[in-house]
Amino acid sequence: MAAVGARARKPRPSGAERMILGRRLRVEGVLRFAFIGLFLLFLLGPLYWVFVTSIKPVADYQTVPPVWFPDSPTSIHFSAALNDLRGWTGLKNSAIVAGIVTVVSVLVGTAAAYSMARFRTGGKNLAFWVLSQRIMPPIAVVIPIFLIYRELDLIDNRFGLAALYVVFTLPFSIWMMYTYFRQMPVELEEAALVDGCTRWQALWKVAWPLAAPGIVSAAAFAFVFSWTEFLFALVLTSNEAVTVPVVISQFLAFQAAQFGESSALSLCAMVPALFLGFLVQKHLVRGLTLGAVQG
Amino acid sequence: MSRPDEPEARDLVARLNAGKLSRRDFVTRASALGISTGAIGSILAACGGDEEVAPPPAETPPAETEPPAETEPPSETAPPAETEPPAAGDPADIAVVAAKAHAGYTVKVTYEGGLQALDPKNFSGPLWEELTGIKTQVIELPFPELYSKPIAEHIATSGAFDILDVPPPNIPSFVEGGVVAPIDDLIEQFGYGPAQEDVHPLYRALGTYKGQTYGIFDDGDMFALYYRKDIFEDPELMSAHESELGRPLAPPTTWDEYTETATFLTGKLAPDVYGAGAFRKQGSPGNQFAFFQQLRANGGTFFDPETMDAVINSDAGVKSLEQMLAVNKASIPGVEELDAVGQWTAWLQGKLAMIFSWPPTGRMSENYSQRDESFSFIPESTIVGKVGYAIMPQLNGEHAGGFVKCISADSKNLEAAYLTVQWLTSPSISLQRVTLPYALRDPYRISHFTSEEYGSLWPGAKDYLAMLNDAANNGVIDLIMPAAADYSFAIDRACSAVWGGEDPKRALDNAAAEWNKITDQTGRDKQKDAYAAFLTLPGATAENTIAALGQALTL
Amino acid sequence: MALGADATRRRLSQTASSWVDRHFRWLLVSPAVVLILALTIFPLGYAIWVAFVTYDFNIPGHAWRGIDNFKEVVTDPNARKAIATTAWLATAAVAIELVIGLLLALAMVRPFRGRRWLIPIFLLPLFMSPVIVGQFWALLLTEPFGPTNWLLGAISGSDVNIRWTTQTPWAYFSILLADAWQWTPFMFVILLAGLSAIPDDLYSAADLDGARPRQAFFFVTLPLLLPVMLVAVAFRVIDAAKIFDVIYVLTKGGPGTDTYTASYYLYEQGFQLFHLGRGTAGAWMFMILLSVVSYWLVRRLLKPVEA
Repeated sequence: MAAVGARARKPRPSGAERMILGRRLRVEGVLRFAFIGLFLLFLLGPLYWVFVTSIKPVADYQTVPPVWFPDSPTSIHFSAALNDLRGWTGLKNSAIVAGIVTVVSVLVGTAAAYSMARFRTGGKNLAFWVLSQRIMPPIAVVIPIFLIYRELDLIDNRFGLAALYVVFTLPFSIWMMYTYFRQMPVELEEAALVDGCTRWQALWKVAWPLAAPGIVSAAAFAFVFSWTEFLFALVLTSNEAVTVPVVISQFLAFQAAQFGESSALSLCAMVPALFLGFLVQKHLVRGLTLGAVQG
Repeated sequence: MSRPDEPEARDLVARLNAGKLSRRDFVTRASALGISTGAIGSILAACGGDEEVAPPPAETPPAETEPPAETEPPSETAPPAETEPPAAGDPADIAVVAAKAHAGYTVKVTYEGGLQALDPKNFSGPLWEELTGIKTQVIELPFPELYSKPIAEHIATSGAFDILDVPPPNIPSFVEGGVVAPIDDLIEQFGYGPAQEDVHPLYRALGTYKGQTYGIFDDGDMFALYYRKDIFEDPELMSAHESELGRPLAPPTTWDEYTETATFLTGKLAPDVYGAGAFRKQGSPGNQFAFFQQLRANGGTFFDPETMDAVINSDAGVKSLEQMLAVNKASIPGVEELDAVGQWTAWLQGKLAMIFSWPPTGRMSENYSQRDESFSFIPESTIVGKVGYAIMPQLNGEHAGGFVKCISADSKNLEAAYLTVQWLTSPSISLQRVTLPYALRDPYRISHFTSEEYGSLWPGAKDYLAMLNDAANNGVIDLIMPAAADYSFAIDRACSAVWGGEDPKRALDNAAAEWNKITDQTGRDKQKDAYAAFLTLPGATAENTIAALGQALTL
Repeated sequence: MALGADATRRRLSQTASSWVDRHFRWLLVSPAVVLILALTIFPLGYAIWVAFVTYDFNIPGHAWRGIDNFKEVVTDPNARKAIATTAWLATAAVAIELVIGLLLALAMVRPFRGRRWLIPIFLLPLFMSPVIVGQFWALLLTEPFGPTNWLLGAISGSDVNIRWTTQTPWAYFSILLADAWQWTPFMFVILLAGLSAIPDDLYSAADLDGARPRQAFFFVTLPLLLPVMLVAVAFRVIDAAKIFDVIYVLTKGGPGTDTYTASYYLYEQGFQLFHLGRGTAGAWMFMILLSVVSYWLVRRLLKPVEA
């Protein structure tokens, strides 16, 4: 894999090589596609291996040379991981938590973003303050949260975890929607107000529907964050509220390197997030950069 | 009288497996057929999860390894407790009768998450509910939380737990913090005393603290040596070993011999077979077990009991770490990356001539565990019938981990909680639990070691049990005192640093400095008392193992 | 608008809604502000108290300790090493991701057949849990399960026995590999957006001026891409400094303490050894450090939005 970095420099032909234009283009094209191909391999290799591991009988685990595809694929890792070892529980909890977070984060985030975009509420300071939440290292928050949740009996509680996720997705939701509302013409809402709408109605019936595409992406971001987050879940859930990443990590912890089981559950856990990922592709860049870069 | 293999019973089992019969119905109907509760339990256990049926026992293991239910004539076990008063001595029956008064209560039980929790979820929990009406709620926790959760819940006096699965090193902190309740009176009241005597003395002491009993031991986690008899009895190898090393090819009795023999076998058999394997990966589950084991076997200790300065960097400590390093060199390549399961995988596939590990090794080697779906992460054994058992080189094997069942002091129903523990750990029920195919609970009672049922699970099972008893006789125990996890982590890191190229002496000096700091931060005087209490436990050093104290049990 | 139908109800709600209208903007932001206050600001305030007392599951009570918790962290060689490791691992990871991500974006910016399908595939890792990504590399690299050594051996024709997760420096390399796998797409997609936004006529102009491709890259592409690049780097630095999941799955901090990062060290202090007071003190210091580093990055981030 180290070769990727080394080869990477080649696709840009140095100016010193003065070749005939056609030939240079061809060489450049070959290098370009070779680089893309290499990266694709680097990307898909691990995915293939995890897939093979999930259907590999354990007898094929430590063979030399490695078994690239098992002669007799098995589904036992899937059924063991899902049924015997809490896979379903994890998936169910993750779905519930992510569902709650998605709805709440989008509602709360949209409202705040609308206010900040339309009325400059809180001015720069509020905006900066929200953004600074994005810097906060989770480990700094999770220790006191753990102690406080203990008092409130919110440990190992889906709602406790969801509340925390809402807060950590708010910078996403707010900033995405903020940039969205800023670009939306104010005239439509003004017209609605003139027509006798209340402020609420102007938001709910005019601005909100217009912002729908942005809302969908903000929702997807909130979902993906909640679905994939690990540290909070590791600390705050263990039994009833245990989420998928925690279950997977326990397949690899302590005595049990349950490779097949962890691969099987990983594959199951990847599906919904990937689906949403495809859905929000158009708004991905805006989301990743909290609106700083327009994709 | 009806045996489970007769048509009606077989039909019942088939319907249970097909999911047409709930566990509850199964137990009711099976009792009606006159199948003993013990046998019912075994059948339920063999059926494992609700969805898929474990591979039929007839496929792989020889006939002798059938589950106990099918070899045991039902007349041997007491009839269902409902119909007759309990036999005076059987604590399981006493518990069942007394617990009926608490029917409808739900005992909340902590377990380490994953495989450990399968027993209460699939076997003992449902069975206990059938027998007494007491429900079991299993709370699965990651290992470190078996310590923190009970403390947190105790501070909140939430009564969230009734029964705690406690790793022995946590006991002092739990007792001092008032997290667990003393149970001497309950043991007395419900006639459990004789059953306690049946627990191996090394283990029995682990449920006590400063003379009082706080829990009942429940998992005999002795390290022992497993070796390939077919390799050790190979005539060519035997003579070559004798001529090259000047001693016969036999299970090694010192760590230097272990390295020599492993090197010899690797030289002869690699790359098909390597002399040894070990789990050396940091945190999976950690190098502290092996280091503590060898440190004591080499005559070392942890602290100077007067000053409480760490003495792990003594000559014995350095020698131990150097020996471990030598073992690595003689072992399968990549041994530093192996975890316990990786080691088992290599072993079961016949790639290793010797390993030391926990007791499930013996059961997996004979394909006994693999009949359950939940053990799908372990390959089928290719070495059935070829495995010999021995205690560790230099006698002292580590009792690595283990669990004690304690009663939460905040339990809303101490008696129900206690009776559940009494029943779970009683000789008859615990025997079934340690013989569950997917069990991670290992034999710890004299009656386990001498059990005919267990002894007939596979041809060599009797030797296996005898060896486990012998291992316990000579066993040394983990460090039991506050901040034990801190000390262990420091050692684990020191070891993995050495595997990464650090000098053993330097690594241990650093670890000792870390230990001293931990001691200061935890409170030197407090730790001094704790260490003094630890030294009174059998197995704290090589000088006070059960065998060294002259209390060795012979079966 | 579907209102005005019921005049009576409207009158009744008039007073209420005018109050709502007057305070509308504050009502809208308040849930967000309250949530953030309750779940980050309040805990951090509470943490200040925790950091100054004994808060340890090995030691009962909460005696006042002054700055001892802070001292213990600062004088812990493991903590100091963890900070250094975090700093250089994060830097290295971001540098690698930036270079590969930029090259990939350059390679992908001009259309070709299949590009439409390739881009979503390149973005897959962004939607995966870091635990799963760490596990991918555990499966690939850990002996004797992983095929990596065998593959390298087959390619190079000699035995390769690298211990990818238990030997320095390979353990660092493995972590960087996992991080790069997941986050190079992040750089790629942002830089691709930046590149696409550069107007073609600038290149035509450069071409007319007789600029060679390399000159065009350095004098047109790079300056115009720079703001976007900074944003991408800023976000990556902030996240890379928090790296935890991959370490947890791949190396558990080993060998020794070589791959302890700040987050992993603090996690161990807090949740494996339960020295919560010490962990909190360390977490506060780490947060302040990170804030200082990120401050100018965030200021930078705000600009495009204000524009």
